[in-house]
Parts: sequence; C-alpha cells; structure tokens
Amino acid sequence: MSNHPPKITATHVNVWYGAKKAIDDVSIDIDQDSVTALIGPSGCGKSTFLRTLNRMNDTVANARVQGDIRLDGEDIYSPDMDVVQLRARVGMVFQKPNPFPKSIYENVAYGPRIHGLASSRSELEGIVQTSLKRAGLWEEVKDRLSDSGTALSGGQQQRLCIARAIAVDPEVILMDEPCSALDPIATAKIEELIHALKGRYAIAIVTHNMQQAARVSQRTAFFHLGQLVEYGATTEIFTNPREERTRDYITGRYG
Amino acid sequence: MSNAAPFSTRRPTDWATPAMQSRVRRRYRAERRFRLLGLAAVTLSGAFLLFLLGSMLLRGAGGFLETRVAMPIDFARASLDVDPRRLQGRAADLALAGAGLEGAVDDAAVAAFGPDLGGRILSDGAWLRVREAIKDDPSVLSRRVVMSLPVASPIDVAAKGPGSVEAEAVVASLRSGDLLSTGLNREFLLSADSTDPTRAGIWGALKGSILTMLVTLLLAFPIGLLAALYLEEYAPKNRWTDLIEVSINNLAAVPSIIFGLLGLALFLGTFGLPRSAPLVGGLTLALLTMPVIVIASRNAIKAVPPSIRDAALGVGASPIQVVFHHVLPLALPGILTGTIIGMARALGETAPLLMIGMRAFIAAPPDGITDPATVLPVQVFLWSDEVGRGFVEKTSAAIVVLLVFLLAMNALAIHLRNRFETRW
Ligand SMILES: Nc1ncnc2c1ncn2[C@@H]1O[C@H](COP(=O)(O)OP(=O)(O)OP(=O)(O)O)[C@@H](O)[C@H]1O
Ligand SMILES: [Mg+2]
Repeated sequence: MSNHPPKITATHVNVWYGAKKAIDDVSIDIDQDSVTALIGPSGCGKSTFLRTLNRMNDTVANARVQGDIRLDGEDIYSPDMDVVQLRARVGMVFQKPNPFPKSIYENVAYGPRIHGLASSRSELEGIVQTSLKRAGLWEEVKDRLSDSGTALSGGQQQRLCIARAIAVDPEVILMDEPCSALDPIATAKIEELIHALKGRYAIAIVTHNMQQAARVSQRTAFFHLGQLVEYGATTEIFTNPREERTRDYITGRYG
Repeated sequence: MSNAAPFSTRRPTDWATPAMQSRVRRRYRAERRFRLLGLAAVTLSGAFLLFLLGSMLLRGAGGFLETRVAMPIDFARASLDVDPRRLQGRAADLALAGAGLEGAVDDAAVAAFGPDLGGRILSDGAWLRVREAIKDDPSVLSRRVVMSLPVASPIDVAAKGPGSVEAEAVVASLRSGDLLSTGLNREFLLSADSTDPTRAGIWGALKGSILTMLVTLLLAFPIGLLAALYLEEYAPKNRWTDLIEVSINNLAAVPSIIFGLLGLALFLGTFGLPRSAPLVGGLTLALLTMPVIVIASRNAIKAVPPSIRDAALGVGASPIQVVFHHVLPLALPGILTGTIIGMARALGETAPLLMIGMRAFIAAPPDGITDPATVLPVQVFLWSDEVGRGFVEKTSAAIVVLLVFLLAMNALAIHLRNRFETRW
C-alpha cells in the first residue's frame, strides 16, 4: 500500500528475559507514511517488541534480542550502529508518563540541546514552542514554562513526554499506550496529533483501545503470547480477520 | 421485600455493635500509644544531646576564660635598654627580648607581691602580653603603668573553683585587694598546645583537623563517588562485582584502629611520608571514609527511578549524559548526606591517628599538610591524660570546640541537601 520501502523491517525477532521467551519469531514492516497499531492482551509482549525497535531493551540486564531489525536498511543491532543516534532518530513515548523532574521548558529543550539542534537561544525557544503546540499542551502551560514538569496532571505529563519526543525531530515515533492515563478529550487531542504527525514520521502505537486502533492506524498487528498472530491493513483486521483469535480479541470475547 | 431471599448467607456487617466499637476504640488507643512512644524517644534523645552540650559548656566555659591580676610595672625604673625607633614591625620582638623584658616583668612581680609569691604568681606567658602592650603604645616605656596579666595555672584553678589550699589563700588575699579580674583567653583560640595550661591553645589542633579533613574530603569524595557510579552504572552484574560489593561493606565495618595500622605500614613505612602530618592522617581517614561514601552513594543512585533513565536514553542521551544530567542531580542529596556522615565519623576518629604518630606534643600550628600536627579528638585525649588540674577545663573546652565544628559541618550538609533537593 506504500510506494516507499518500509521504514523499519523486523524479521524473525526473538526476545528472551533470562530463560523466558517474551517475543517468538515476529516479523513486521513499519511503513514510512502510515500509523501501525500493536494490539493484544496484557503481557503479550507489545512493549517488549516496541522497545527492540530503538534498543531500549539494552538497558534491561537479562534481556536478549535475536533477529534482524533494519532502519532504512541499516542493521540497528550491528556493532557499527550508534545507539545514541538511533534513539534520537527513533523517539519513544513510554507507557507511564516520565517527565524529568525539571521545568517544563527544560523537559522539551533537553533533547534538542544535547543534540545541538538549535544554534541560538531563540531558535531553541522556537523548537520548544512548536513541540508543545503540536503536542496540544502549549495553551495550558505557556504561562508557566518554568514550573516543574512533574507538577502537571497525568495527561498533561504524557503530552509533555510527546512534546519532548518530537522536539528531537525523530524519523520514527514509538508510542506505548500514550493515552492510557488520559481522559477522552486529551485522548482526542493525541489522536489528532497522531493524524497530524502521520506522513512526517513513521509511527508505531501500542493501544488497548480497539476504537483507537481503528481510528488512528492504517495497519494493525495483533500479538498473543509473544507471537504475531495477524498483521495487515487495519480495515481488514477489524472487519474481516483471518484468525479466530484475532476475531475473539477485537470483539472482546477474550479474558 | 424485607423477607426476600438473602443474597448470601453472610449477614451484613453491623458497624454499631459494642464489640465493633470497642475494636475501633482499641485501634485508636494503639495509635495514641505508638505516637506517645515515638514522642518519648525523640524527647529522650533530645535530652541526652542537651545534657551533653550543657554539661560540656558548663565545664568547658572556664577553658575559654583566664584570670588576670592587676600589677604595677614601673618601666622608667626597670631601665630597659631599647631604642624606641626599633619598636616598629618585626624587629620589635627581638629588641624587647634582647633588652631583658622578661626579667623586668619578673622583677616587677617580685616588687609588687614579695619575693615568694612574686616568683610564681604570673603565667609563663605573661611577659608576652607586656610585650604586645609596649608594641601597641611605646610611650609606656617611660612611665609606671598597671597591667592586668594572666596568673599561673594553680592560682587560675583556685580562682575559678576549688584549688590547692595554698593557692586558695593567695586568691583570697588578692581578691580582698580587688586585684583579680576575668577575661577572655584569646590565646586558647589562637595558639597550639603547651605544657602550661594557661598558655595551651586549641588552634593548632583545630587547624590540624581542618587540614586533615580537607585531605580526606578531596580524596574520599571523588574516589568514593566515582567508584559508586562505576559500580552502579557500568560494572556488569556478576560474581566479581558481588565480591567487590561484599568487600566494600566489610571495609565499612572494619575497626578504625586497623586502618591506623594500615596507614602506618603503607604511608609511613612504604611511602616514607612524614610522621604526624595531616597528609598521612587525611590519607588514613580517607581509607576509612571511602566505603561509607561508596555505600551511601550507591544507595542514592539506585533510588533514582529507572523511568528517568529511560526518558533520557529515549531522547538519545549518551550514558554519561544520563548520569551527569539526570542521575547525579537526583542522587546528590543522598550522596552529600552519606559524605557528611563519613566525614563526621572521620572528624571524631582518634585511634587510627594515634597509630600514625599524631599524638606527639606539637607546640606550633601546622603551616601545611606535611607539617607535624595533631587533631581535635587527639588533643582532647592528650589533655584528658594530663596531670595538671588546669587541663581539666581545657579538655572540656576542646570538646566544645570539637562539637561546634561538628555541628557546623552538619549544618552545612543540611543546607547543601536542601539546596539540591528536587521537588517531585
Ligand atoms: N524486565 C523484565 N524482566 C522479566 N520479564 C519481563 C520484563 N519485562 C517484561 N517481562 C515479561 O515479558 C512479557 C511481555 O511483557 P510486555 O511488557 O512486553 O507486555 P505488554 O504486552 O506490553 O503488556 P501490557 O499491555 O500490560 O503493557 C510479560 O510476560 C512480562 O512479564
Ligand atoms: Mg506494555
């Protein structure tokens, strides 16, 4: 459905936590100009898989990743790969909001600053402002940018984390249940944001909300017990799933 | 409606029964009891601290004071042969000593109090006061003046409290002539140890302590912090790092005198560093403080939530940026607290410093970290061992100085911790 080659190709990916296998032979392509939703019951490995895409699993002491994952054809697990740069190119919004215990401004400015993305103070201020605007937070915080990021509400914190991620201008954004702490209005804002970001960034989003997956994504992957059960166009998955397990899950017949 | 079939066989809870209410009351009683116990514990420890400080202050206050006797000196008759033009600057000390000032002061004492008492009434250092007075105002050399000069230790002791029978009699007769007065003993705060309690000062030991603590801090803090950072952030978790962890914990529990023996063998024996020097004392105490700092820093670093690390890594911070931009600032209050606890312990250590020779009698404050010196707790130990009655109050006064130093250090730590504390 896309005329570009995929942004990320993951083939035969396995992940272990110690002796426990959390991801079992998963192959997925993530397209440049579409949103990919990862769905599945709790504990099936969605977060684990997402974290292999920017090598955040490196920080988990007993995690072991096997398989081939390429960003623009480049093997991200090869020894030549610069992990720091990879994570700047593949940004992440975590399941639990985790703003730095610093000011709102600092939270957003931190990434651009360490990567030297702004040559002047005013340019940095511009980046902070556009990032907060795109994350739909600007109106709420523009008068108190020097307040602590941790003093915001849960939903505001999550949008702050999104602003922080897009401030670095990554190529791919991985979102791990970005709306799980949000009310319907804030959720709608984030979904709008995802629509707006689509095309500019390749986006992968984990969600427990089927309607959300249907609304925001063009492609959907259904995980179960560490395996990829079904992967295809979102409309296909939701109207005409090939697998019994997928049908049960999306119709809510799953425990 | 009321006799519809019960939803379950369990009856609804009745919160108003006497049994239930007595349970509630019991719960509140337990809570009150616990609060009172806690309050009692806090009060008790506060009272101990107050008692300690109070009794030390009471007993030590005399150590900061000196008894003076008013004594006439007739410089015009003493025929001091001194050129008034040489009474400027440094040459003055030499000129006055050469002119026989000490003898002149002794003669004046004999003239004032008779040959017997005159020979033993003044402190050995009394003539130095006269010298300072002359330097301040050379015109006294041509006049007869009355000066208040510090008395010798036995009389000083008798003036402040019970002393020897003989000295008590002297004090009584001087008091009747209204010749005695009390003043601040500036020498106690400005000079070093002496065999004469009226001249013994704490400054030498205080300066020795400050220099030793500086050496300790400059070594133990960076090394301990780096070790903690490496162990927490970089070292792989395996049997070797487990072994290192156990060794560090054991090191923190090793009796301090063993560190003294180690310092003696290593720094004095192998490296041939100077004895009794703050450098060696600082090195030895650094060995003792480092494990405390490592353990406290590791705990503080461990307490930084992993989600903050994830957040920083997620925007592409390098591991060292994660450490310096996020982990360290959050861990700093805990690290500082641990450092201060370690430093406070080092400040109070006596045994290891005795081993490396810091118990020597040293009559001049150290000028640098390689000069012979002593430290406050060792000075307390040395004075408490002296036979002279005058040293009893000096011991308490030295303890007061040590406690004030300690409190100042802790206050600084609390100030720093509050400044770096992050509000979540
Ligand atoms: N650090 C870890 N160490 C050991 N096991 C882990 C670790 N993280 C996750 N797991 C296990 O791996 C499996 C997949 O976890 P993962 O967090 O990827 O699930 P998930 O699909 O994101 O679930 P949820 O929807 O509840 O977030 C789970 O069984 C979990 O217990
Ligand atoms: Mg998850």
